[in-house]
Amino acid sequence: MPMRTDCGLPRFSANKLTDLIKYMRSGEGLTLAALILFALSLFVFPLALLTRVGLTDGEGFSLGPAIEMLSHGSVPRALWRSLESAGVSAILSLVTGTAIALLVGLTDIRGKAIITFLLLIPMMIPPHVTAIAWVQAMGPSSPVLNTIGLAPPPGSPHPLYGRGGVIALLAVQNMPLVFLVVLAALRALPREMSDAARVSGAGTIVLLRRVILPLLAPTLIAAYALAFIAALGNFGIPALLGIPGRYVTLPVLIWQRLSAFGPSMLADVAVISAILASVAILLVLIQSTLLARTRNALIGPPQAPIYLALGRARSSVEAALWTLVVITFLLPITALFGTALVVTYGLPLNAETITFDNFREILFEQSVTARAYRNSTITAGVAALVIAALCILLARLLAGPKGPARRIGLGLSTLAEITYAIPGLVISVAFILAFIRPIPILDVSIYNTLAIILLAYLCAFFSIALKPISAAFLQLDPALDEAARVAGAGFWARIRRIALPLVAPAAASGAILVFLTAYNEVTVSALLWSTGTETIGTTIYNYEDGGYTTLAAAMSAVTVIATVALMVLLDLMGRRLPPGVVPWRL
Amino acid sequence: MKPIVAVALTSAILTAPVFAQDTSVSGPLVLYTSQPNADAQQTVDAFVAAYPNVEVDWVRDGTTAIMARLEAEFVAGNPQPDVLLIADMVTMEGLEAEGRLLAYPEADVSAYDPAIMDPEGYYFSTKLITTGIVYNTAAPFVPASYNDLLRDEAQGQIAMPSPLTSGAATIHMAALTSHPDLGWALYEGLAEQGANPQGGNGGTYRAVAGGEQMFGFVVDFLPIREMANGAPVNFVFPEEGVSAVTEPAAILSTASNVPAAQAFIDFLLSPAGQQLAADQGYLPAHPAISPPAGFPAREDITLMGFDPAEALANADANRLRFTEIFGQ
Repeated sequence: MPMRTDCGLPRFSANKLTDLIKYMRSGEGLTLAALILFALSLFVFPLALLTRVGLTDGEGFSLGPAIEMLSHGSVPRALWRSLESAGVSAILSLVTGTAIALLVGLTDIRGKAIITFLLLIPMMIPPHVTAIAWVQAMGPSSPVLNTIGLAPPPGSPHPLYGRGGVIALLAVQNMPLVFLVVLAALRALPREMSDAARVSGAGTIVLLRRVILPLLAPTLIAAYALAFIAALGNFGIPALLGIPGRYVTLPVLIWQRLSAFGPSMLADVAVISAILASVAILLVLIQSTLLARTRNALIGPPQAPIYLALGRARSSVEAALWTLVVITFLLPITALFGTALVVTYGLPLNAETITFDNFREILFEQSVTARAYRNSTITAGVAALVIAALCILLARLLAGPKGPARRIGLGLSTLAEITYAIPGLVISVAFILAFIRPIPILDVSIYNTLAIILLAYLCAFFSIALKPISAAFLQLDPALDEAARVAGAGFWARIRRIALPLVAPAAASGAILVFLTAYNEVTVSALLWSTGTETIGTTIYNYEDGGYTTLAAAMSAVTVIATVALMVLLDLMGRRLPPGVVPWRL
Repeated sequence: MKPIVAVALTSAILTAPVFAQDTSVSGPLVLYTSQPNADAQQTVDAFVAAYPNVEVDWVRDGTTAIMARLEAEFVAGNPQPDVLLIADMVTMEGLEAEGRLLAYPEADVSAYDPAIMDPEGYYFSTKLITTGIVYNTAAPFVPASYNDLLRDEAQGQIAMPSPLTSGAATIHMAALTSHPDLGWALYEGLAEQGANPQGGNGGTYRAVAGGEQMFGFVVDFLPIREMANGAPVNFVFPEEGVSAVTEPAAILSTASNVPAAQAFIDFLLSPAGQQLAADQGYLPAHPAISPPAGFPAREDITLMGFDPAEALANADANRLRFTEIFGQ
C-alpha cells in the first residue's frame, strides 16, 4: 500500500490508477477536481480563446495583427493615452497616498479611524458615479460652486473634460489603494533601524529620507504598479470625461467599437483586448515580483508603531487632511445629491426646484431601473456566495501541507490574480468569444442572458474574496484539523465543523467585498448586457449618455448610499476579524 | 428609457382608438426594430391586438448593431426579418438600392407629406424626430435662423452631436448642406465659431442645459420634455425648417410572410398607429394626429427639403468633408 496522506496526492506505486480513483473520490480529490474544472472553464478557456483570436494570424502565434493594429490610426493613440493617463495618475496617487499613509501611520494626528474611512470611500464608489458626481460639481451649473459663487461662468467649457480631468479623477479613485499598501508596509517596518537613527540624532526629515523611505522603496514601486493597473483598466472615468474631451483610452475604444458595430467587430476588438491584457499582465508580474521581495525583507514580529509627535504642526496637518476629505468626497457627493434632487438638469437647487421625483422615478416607476436593481442584486449576490464557497475550498488547499494539492491551489490563485488584474472589458470580450455560440454538449446559449454576466463576475472578482479567506485559514492552528481527523471526521465534516465556524467571518467579509464590487461595476457588463439584463452600472451610464442626467444622478446617489452602508457593515464586522481581512482595517 | 414611457403606456391604454380586428392575416412575423424597448413592446402589442392571428417575433437593438446583424444575415444568405422599423430614410434608400426591399405601392399614404414617403412605396416614414436649435435661457440672444449661430456672440458657445456618431446629426448635416441659403458655408462658419461636434444628442443637451455651451443642435424631444419641468433651455424650430429622422418601416424582398408585413405597415400608418407614436412622445408623421404636449402644431413645423437618394450617394463625401472642416 502506498503511503497515503490526506492533504496531498498519494504517492503512487503499483496500483496507480486505483489510488488515483480512490483519491479523486475522497472529499479533497473532488474539491480539487471541481476547482480545476471551474478554473479551466472560466479562467483558462475564455482567455485562451482571446489569445487565439487576438494573437494569432490563422496559422500560429503571431504578433502580426497586433502590430498591424498598432501601426496607425486610433489604436496606438488610445494605447498611448491609456499609458499616459494611467502613468501620470498613478504618480499623483502615489505621492498623495504615501503622504497620507505617512501622516496616518507615523504621526500623532487625531481621528485617524474616521479620516481613514472617509478617505477610502472614493475607492469603493464606482468610477462612473465618481465621474458623474465630479461633472456635476465642477460645471457652470454646479449646485455647490454656485452657492459659494465660484462656478465657472455660463458658456465656459467643462474643466474636467479631456486629459486633465481623466488623470485627476483616476488619481483620486486610486489614491486609497496606494494609501492602504503603504500603511500596511509601515505597520510592518522594523523598529530597530528607526530607533538607531533616532539615537544617532536624526531628525524627522532625515529619518524619513534616509531610513523609512528607502525601506519602503519596493512597496512604493509595487503600490505604483497597483495604481497603474487599476487606472489602466478603468472604464467609467475615461468614458464619461474622456469622450466629451476627445481623449479616448483603450478600454473606451474597445467599448465604442463593439457597441457601435456589434459582433462583426469581435476579431478586431479581440486584438486590441489582447494588447491591453498583455500590458496588464506584464505589470502584475513586475508588481508581484517586487511585492514578494518586500515581504521577505520586512517580515518580523508585530511591533508597536513608530509615533512622531507633530507638535504645533498637528492642527494644520489635520486641517489639510480634512480639506482633502471634503474635496475628494464631500464636494462631488454633495453635487451629485444636488443634481439628483433638482427637478431638471441645469436649474439651481432651491425650495422651488427641489423634488424627490427623480428618486421616485428610478425606484418605483421605471421598469428598466427596477430590472437593473434586481439583476445586479441577483448576479452580485450569487457571485458573492459562489466565490466565497469556492474560496473556502481553495484556501483550505493553500493552507494545507506542502504537496501537489497545494501547488495546484497556488497555481489557481495566481490565475485568479491575473484575471482580476486584466481589465473588466477585456474579460467581457473573452466571455463573448467563449459563449457567443451555444455551449457544446449542453447545447444551451448563455449569450445575452444574466448567466454570462454572472460567469464573468466569477472570473473577474474571484481573487477579491480569496485574500481575506486565505488570511483567515493561515491563522488556523493545523492541530485542530489533525485532531478532528484522528477522531475520525471526514473531509467534509472537518470543513463544516472545524474550518467553517472559524473562517465564517472572513468568508462573510470576502463575500461582501465581492458583492460590493460586482454591484457597482460597469466595466464587465458594459459589453455583456442586453435588453432585459441591464445592470445598475450600465443603466446609470446609459441615462447619463442619453441626456437623462437627473435620473443618472439619482441612481448614482442610491448606489453611494448602498455602498457606504455596506462599508459600515463591513467595518463593524472587521472589528472582530484579524487585521487585513477588511481592507481598511490594518 | 424615457420617463414619459410609463405615462404614455397608461394613456395609450386609456385613449387608443379601437382598431377593428382583422383575422384574415395570420402566421409568424419577424420584426427588427431600433425603437426603445418599451416603445417596441407597445407597438407590437397594439399590432397584435389589431391582428390577433399574427405572431410577432421581434428583435430590438441599436440602429448600428441591428444593421450589422442584418448585413451579416445578408452575407450568410438567410435574412431573418420580414419587416424593418429602423433608423432613417438614407439607410432605407441604401437597402432599396441593394434590392433588399419589397415595394408596397398599395399602402395608403394619401394623408402624408410626400417628401417623407418613398415614391415607389419601398419605405414609409412613421414619425418625425426633428433636429433644430436648443439654447440656454442665459444665452445672449434667441436664435431664429441657423445663420444666427454665426453671430459673434455665439463664438465658442455651440455644441453639436457628431455625424460620425449620431444618425440624426448625419441627416441634419445632409439637410443643412443641401439647403440653398445655408450649404457647407454654415458648417465652415460653425467650425470657425469653435464648435466641436462630438458624441450623441444626450451630451449636447447636457452641455446646453448645464450652461457649458449656450446653443446646440439637438433632437426635439430632449429639450421639449425638460422644458415642461422648467429646464433653463428653449427649443427653436428655425425659419429654414428642421431636419427629421423618420424611423421608416419597410418590407424585405426576402420576407416569408408578406401579407402580415403589409398589415404591419398598414397598422403603423393608420390613425391608431400614429396616435400610439404621439402617445409615446414623438411627433407623429400623420398631419391630422395632434402632437404631444410641448410641440407646435404639425402645420407650423417646416421640414427642410431633403433627398435621401442624393444623401446616400454623397454620404461618404459628406463625412469626409465634415472631418476636413472640423479636423476630426
